[in-house]
Amino acid sequence: MSEFSPNILAFCCNWCSYAGADLAGVNRLQMPTNVNVIRVMCSASVKPEYVIKALSQGIDGVLVLGCHIGDCHYLTGNHRTAKRIPLTAKVVEKVGIDPRRIRLDWVSAAEGEKFQQVVTEFVEDIKSIGPNPLREVVF
Amino acid sequence: MRTEHGNVAPVLLAKGDGPGELRADVPYQMAMILSRVYPHVPEGRIAVVARRCDEKAIAELSKRDIVDRDRIALIGLACTKEQVAECRCRDPCPETVDLGECSDPVVEDPVVEKVRSMPPEARLAFWTDQFRKCNKCYGCTVNCPVCFCDDCLLEDKTFTVEKGIPPGMAFHVIRSMHLADKCVECGECERSCPVDIPLLALRKMANDDMKELFGYTAGDADRKSPLLTTLEGDPIKEGDVDAC
Repeated sequence: MSEFSPNILAFCCNWCSYAGADLAGVNRLQMPTNVNVIRVMCSASVKPEYVIKALSQGIDGVLVLGCHIGDCHYLTGNHRTAKRIPLTAKVVEKVGIDPRRIRLDWVSAAEGEKFQQVVTEFVEDIKSIGPNPLREVVF
Repeated sequence: MRTEHGNVAPVLLAKGDGPGELRADVPYQMAMILSRVYPHVPEGRIAVVARRCDEKAIAELSKRDIVDRDRIALIGLACTKEQVAECRCRDPCPETVDLGECSDPVVEDPVVEKVRSMPPEARLAFWTDQFRKCNKCYGCTVNCPVCFCDDCLLEDKTFTVEKGIPPGMAFHVIRSMHLADKCVECGECERSCPVDIPLLALRKMANDDMKELFGYTAGDADRKSPLLTTLEGDPIKEGDVDAC
């Protein structure tokens, strides 16, 4: 059997993390290719509902990346993210989904290396956790 | 509350109406009935017979500008021991008790304890079994005193087109997440559920998470939901934030 290759969604905010991902690419930093990046205007526009829906449809992990606290383009957008993403992780834990499948981190536009590091770590984590059990569940 | 056609029905009394034969066993969420009646009563004050859960729900509604707290007078009704046991209520005593006597809260919830003690795989299997029963009647949403969004997310195609009936995992987890900062644990969702999904246990666990993360309990009249404030606790500018 081939090795488990996780399927991961990354929500990157337009102003910092997406530019950071871009920088990582321009610098030719090597990282796993399991991550599908979705560009959003602000990490606060990532409704917890989207994260939950992705997990319930069998995505193995969700990364939410935003600007550092205080650097948000919309001033307090990432304050909301900082509160609701941890809460989402707690809520999904209660129905038996591993909370480590949701990760929130801050990556600025200058941190290409940090993007590489976060993605590599997260893919390793997800590989150790295994595939999302909900992928197999038929309702 | 009054007996009508053999059932207990809510009754709105205006000045001069005789109260007639009233009953104190409230099978509805009074806060929900209030939020329906409120727009039709443009002025004057409304007195509501309110249990602790109604009281908390009214606090949540007034924080979100759906009702004006100054226009509402609360008549505190303490639940009987049987009612408390039926609801597995953790907080049965209203702030001022005008009717009835306070009973002791039920601290431990057998369903919550059971789910907590399970390993993740068993927990997932348990909830999957429960959610498979769901026929998406929206009873939990319609009867919820703190469900007040104009456009319900769960009626949004994005979230419910998923797999028809049963609606899948996301439906209930989204509702749990959505209510985490406002659920008053009245248990109406569980009571109205035709297929007996233990929804109250899910709500209680989400409320415990809120408490653990932010030290916040829904129904707190003085504090805004932490999900609607900055990390320092300042309110986020009005207009930027949807009330839900």
